[in-house]
Amino acid sequence: MNQRDLELLSTYLDGQLRPADSTRLEARLKTDPELASALSDLRSARALLRKLPQRRAPRNFTLSRKMVGQNPPLPRAYPWFRFATALATLLFIFSFGVNTFGQQMASQTIGFGRGGGGGESTQLFSAPAAAPMAAATQAPAATEAPLQMAPVATQLPPTADNTIAETPAAKSAGDTANAVNPNQPQVQSEAQNPIQSPAPLVPSLWQIVLAIIAIASAAFMFVMRQLSARRWK
Amino acid sequence: MNEQALITDAQGGNLDAFNTLILHYQDSVFNTALRILGDEDQAADASQEAFISAFKSIASFRGGSFKGWLMRTVTNACYDELRRQKRRPTTPLEPDTEDGEEMDSPRWLADPNMTPAQQAEADEVEHAIQHCLNNLPLEFKTVVVMADLQGMDYTEVAAAIRVPLGTIKSRLARARLRLRECLQGFAELLPASYRLEDGMNVP
Repeated sequence: MNQRDLELLSTYLDGQLRPADSTRLEARLKTDPELASALSDLRSARALLRKLPQRRAPRNFTLSRKMVGQNPPLPRAYPWFRFATALATLLFIFSFGVNTFGQQMASQTIGFGRGGGGGESTQLFSAPAAAPMAAATQAPAATEAPLQMAPVATQLPPTADNTIAETPAAKSAGDTANAVNPNQPQVQSEAQNPIQSPAPLVPSLWQIVLAIIAIASAAFMFVMRQLSARRWK
Repeated sequence: MNEQALITDAQGGNLDAFNTLILHYQDSVFNTALRILGDEDQAADASQEAFISAFKSIASFRGGSFKGWLMRTVTNACYDELRRQKRRPTTPLEPDTEDGEEMDSPRWLADPNMTPAQQAEADEVEHAIQHCLNNLPLEFKTVVVMADLQGMDYTEVAAAIRVPLGTIKSRLARARLRLRECLQGFAELLPASYRLEDGMNVP
């Protein structure tokens, strides 16, 4: 018996053979005992398999939402809060970046001005916030050349006011400022406070407002998720 | 049960509808996994994985036999389980007795509706058949489990495991022949009511 006959017998057993093929096979079965025996074997095996008891499932396999990773439906306003949180957070971080960058730029420009463009530096930072910083950072520069400044300073007659208020460094700085731009007495007076830092480009009030928006919006999102999950259960 | 309506609802994400389908098919799915894997715990795990996978991919079901589609899913889960077993072998099906030998008729397989004698007979037969099934190549075992144990027709089996109809016929015939040869080795163990029967009528 070959493989083809085996397939024919198995298919015949399941009633899946075409009528014409079935008739031919039945005729052969009557005359071929080996084929009949093989059919009997297949039938017996199939009958035994079908007697195998069907087990009941040991437990229910029903799925929970957690098992399939389903999330509770969120309110329609939820995406707006998500957007607000993201935007406020980004702007908050950006404001710090802008302020830091602004301070660095101011420092670099002053450094450049010290190398020969002192007058230009005050023009570049024409904003009121930048001017004090420029004047303040000129003070150390002036101290680098005390020998040059000294004759100029000693030529000026001392007054009662400036002998009390001016330190040597501030005085020489003031002299330098006068030498560069004599029409700026205000700069001279501000140079007396060299540790004053420039005002930030983004006011602190804005940063606080952005932080409040980000935190409040995130808190709303959290509450929404909790309420949705509680309702879903 | 309106199966098509439940499938449509499940495709829309309705988990309750899908759970209704699970309750209807879970015994068939579990038995298929049990006969392929030969281990109840692994079969339960594979069945659960199959249902999770089926829910996640039910949108891809385009009609036809839902049972066949589920059978393909559980077969794939069984193949994954067998691959895992190869990487990480586990304990055998039968628990050990106090002597350290395998328990032939473990108590946890018992059906409470049977008498002890009937249970013993059923256990012997089941053990013999499962042993012979385990010795079949995986592709033969899958076909014979679907066709003879689950009663699926050739077309359903072909669609479920995505092989041509001719291949199904060939595998089923060879699987039955091998099972017959294997079961002959258990002939004297089988009780009279389970002896291989000769001379049955052709369907």
